[in-house]
Amino acid sequence: MSVVLSAEKLVKTFPGVRALDEATLTVTSGSVHALLGENGAGKSTLIKILTGVYRPDGGLLRLPGPDGELRTVQLGNPQDAQRAGIGVVHQERNLIPAFSVAENICLQHLPRRAGLLDRAALRTEARRCLDLLDLDLDPDLPVSRLSVAQLQLVEIAKALSADSTVLLLDEPTASLTNDEADRLYGIVRRLSERGHATVLVSHKLEEVFAVADTVTVLRDGRSVAEAEPLADHSREEIVDLMVGRAYQQVHLAARTVAADVEPALALDHVATTAGHHDVNLAVRPGEIVGLYGLVGAGRSELAKALLGLDRITAGEVLVHGRPARIRDVGDALHRYRIGYVTENRKEEGLFLDQTVARNTAVTVWRKLARLGLVRDRAERSLVDEYAERLGIRLASPDQHAGQLSGGNQQKVSLAKWLAADCDVLIIDEPTVGIDVRTKAAFHELIAGLAARGMAILLISSDLPEMVTLADRIAVMREFAIVGELDNDHDYDRMSQSVIRFIHDGQGVVA
Amino acid sequence: MKTETAPEAPAVPPAADPRPPARVLPVWANPRLGLLIVIAALVVLFSSLTPAFLDPRLTLAPLQADISVYVVVGLAQLAVLSLGHMNMAVGRMAALSTFAMGLAYDRLGVPLLVGLLLGLAVGAGIGALAGLLIAKTGVNSFVVTLALDFGLLGLVTILYTWATGGVSFAVQPSGLAALRFDTFADYCMGEVCGPRIPLVVPIAVAAALGVGLLFRHARLGREILMTGSNTVAAELSGIPTHRRVVTAHALSGLLAALAGFLLAANNGAFSANIGESFLLPSFLAPVLGGTLLAGGAVSVLGTALGATLTQVIYKGLNLLQFSLEELKLYIGLVLLAALSLDRLRAVLAERRAVSPS
Repeated sequence: MSVVLSAEKLVKTFPGVRALDEATLTVTSGSVHALLGENGAGKSTLIKILTGVYRPDGGLLRLPGPDGELRTVQLGNPQDAQRAGIGVVHQERNLIPAFSVAENICLQHLPRRAGLLDRAALRTEARRCLDLLDLDLDPDLPVSRLSVAQLQLVEIAKALSADSTVLLLDEPTASLTNDEADRLYGIVRRLSERGHATVLVSHKLEEVFAVADTVTVLRDGRSVAEAEPLADHSREEIVDLMVGRAYQQVHLAARTVAADVEPALALDHVATTAGHHDVNLAVRPGEIVGLYGLVGAGRSELAKALLGLDRITAGEVLVHGRPARIRDVGDALHRYRIGYVTENRKEEGLFLDQTVARNTAVTVWRKLARLGLVRDRAERSLVDEYAERLGIRLASPDQHAGQLSGGNQQKVSLAKWLAADCDVLIIDEPTVGIDVRTKAAFHELIAGLAARGMAILLISSDLPEMVTLADRIAVMREFAIVGELDNDHDYDRMSQSVIRFIHDGQGVVA
Repeated sequence: MKTETAPEAPAVPPAADPRPPARVLPVWANPRLGLLIVIAALVVLFSSLTPAFLDPRLTLAPLQADISVYVVVGLAQLAVLSLGHMNMAVGRMAALSTFAMGLAYDRLGVPLLVGLLLGLAVGAGIGALAGLLIAKTGVNSFVVTLALDFGLLGLVTILYTWATGGVSFAVQPSGLAALRFDTFADYCMGEVCGPRIPLVVPIAVAAALGVGLLFRHARLGREILMTGSNTVAAELSGIPTHRRVVTAHALSGLLAALAGFLLAANNGAFSANIGESFLLPSFLAPVLGGTLLAGGAVSVLGTALGATLTQVIYKGLNLLQFSLEELKLYIGLVLLAALSLDRLRAVLAERRAVSPS
């Protein structure tokens, strides 16, 4: 096995932060190398240096030359990195929706003949890349018609089209179902058999242990484990390395839910224009009901229909036992005191170019206003209160939400609903892309809200999270509830029952 | 194992979540301050080239009256820029509204204030119509208001021909002449007279203060800004986004009507050509003042300074006896230079803020 990428003692500083402090990464051919670390540990910065987006302030980057000898290179821009054989699939999608699959794959080096696009060569090249992934996809299909998982695979094909020897995958499964993720990792394994090296950044340790063979752990910009065999470490050890202290599994205080209380939110044979049919669900005050299912099962769609963003065509929604007609989110919030924390915090949850103060108080301006004017002092004290309660780290409430880290952004996105003083909170994928420590804090927070009597409908694709938090788990498949379980917090038993519900009747073996 | 052990008691808590440094921009990076300096420099330049520039009666009073009109024109555009929208019909909304005012004065003989309110209502109504079309159809505001502008262009001509047989109302409601010619210096209490400020100025100042208050402190204005910042998030935060779009466009129409009235007062006539020169200045004033075309942030003070700058340039070149064509050429050049300088200043400031000093 030969070294195909070697980053030595990389340093990168931003004002006030030393994002990378002599971080080292050595990748050998044919390996699947996990790059781990909490949010802010420097993973993204490292990836951006490897792909030519940032230039390091110190350290060396060495790649093998034609003779196989390592030599120092300068990557001035992303094109340089690509020419050097480093392909990347970023966390965000970087495809052009109106272009075809083939055009997207070959975007960096479109084949030309006499100055015009050579369609035949384009298709052949795209086919070649898709075949590398065993992907049966029409190269002429516009990208806008693909599913999330297909988009991900097209991005990988695009990264491969540049003849990459090293493939960087940044959180590749964040928006994929388990089956799709398995398929993706199958492809990763096949690529490594052919000698490609893969660097995998993921928060999902289960996946990392299933697919990676080598690991580098970053903490505070330093590599605290350098290219070590993953088999030498247990999951707990890796977590310890990441957080830098002995990690304790959260033990949430047991809660009891009075069974005879009127549900705060109940759905009675509800059907929607989105395609839900015969949905029955009840959440009592103080209870966390989990709504589990695969991506696309219709969970977020159900939440949005409840909020009046889609029409309910049959059945009844009952809030505290009384039939409710919710026309829009304002109605849900002000009349029925139902809040919705979206899964998509950057696009739907936050106003990135507005201050944290406005982001937090937007739901309560109505209460803070006198004669239509919002009192700044009341807003300020509200923000201080929730920043403290949720542990949001702020330089100032006038900071823009876009400047915060992912975990703090998620807290702000939650804070506005806590400030709104809801009885019922629908929380959609609260911990996607959030590191281990912040995740534990979130779980404690959500359990604490329920303990104080809030009714919580928790939508999550993270089964461990579901088993940790929920009192009952309802499983949704194809826009219908296919089963409901009382959660006994035993992960193995619960996960098996849930998976059985999901695949029941589909002929798929879990 | 080549693993580092964590220090027993780290001096700094592990920066799993480093606070992003609050970005502090240097003072000169404030676009408002830059505008103020450029305006001051131009005033010095023009008054040294031609002393007539400082003549209170012939130059300064009319200049203030012109600035008043274009501040309100800029505010009319700012009202929808807050959403990230545009109002391409800002001039024709003013034209239709002033037609309504002229008609009310001419046929009904209403007092000045009543006609003004009527015209403002017409402006708000036509703006609300534009907003409604945009909110309901989801068509881009540029296209909707451009089409509306085209339609109103024809409508206004037809209406003037029908009502006056020409392009202007002959009527002079009482009080209009005072708005046109008087300054506060003409009103004295005993020995003490007011400053030489035209009567239209306080109207524009009041409009600016009102719009400033709306966007800074009022729930309504903030909700409009949030809608402009991220429509989906606004909707999911319980803001009635469609209604806010309609409100912002209605406000734009209302301010366009007010600008039309001020121009009619300055010209001394309600005529069909009111609003013809509004479109470009309506964008220049807010954009020079630092309002984003993307929505979510506005600057009322910047808009007032931006309008002042364009009018100072116009007046100065005019006094230096440039021909109309030259005037247009130089105004274009000066504005391009001002916008580029502004951009340069912003880039430099950004670099200064980011690079560790």
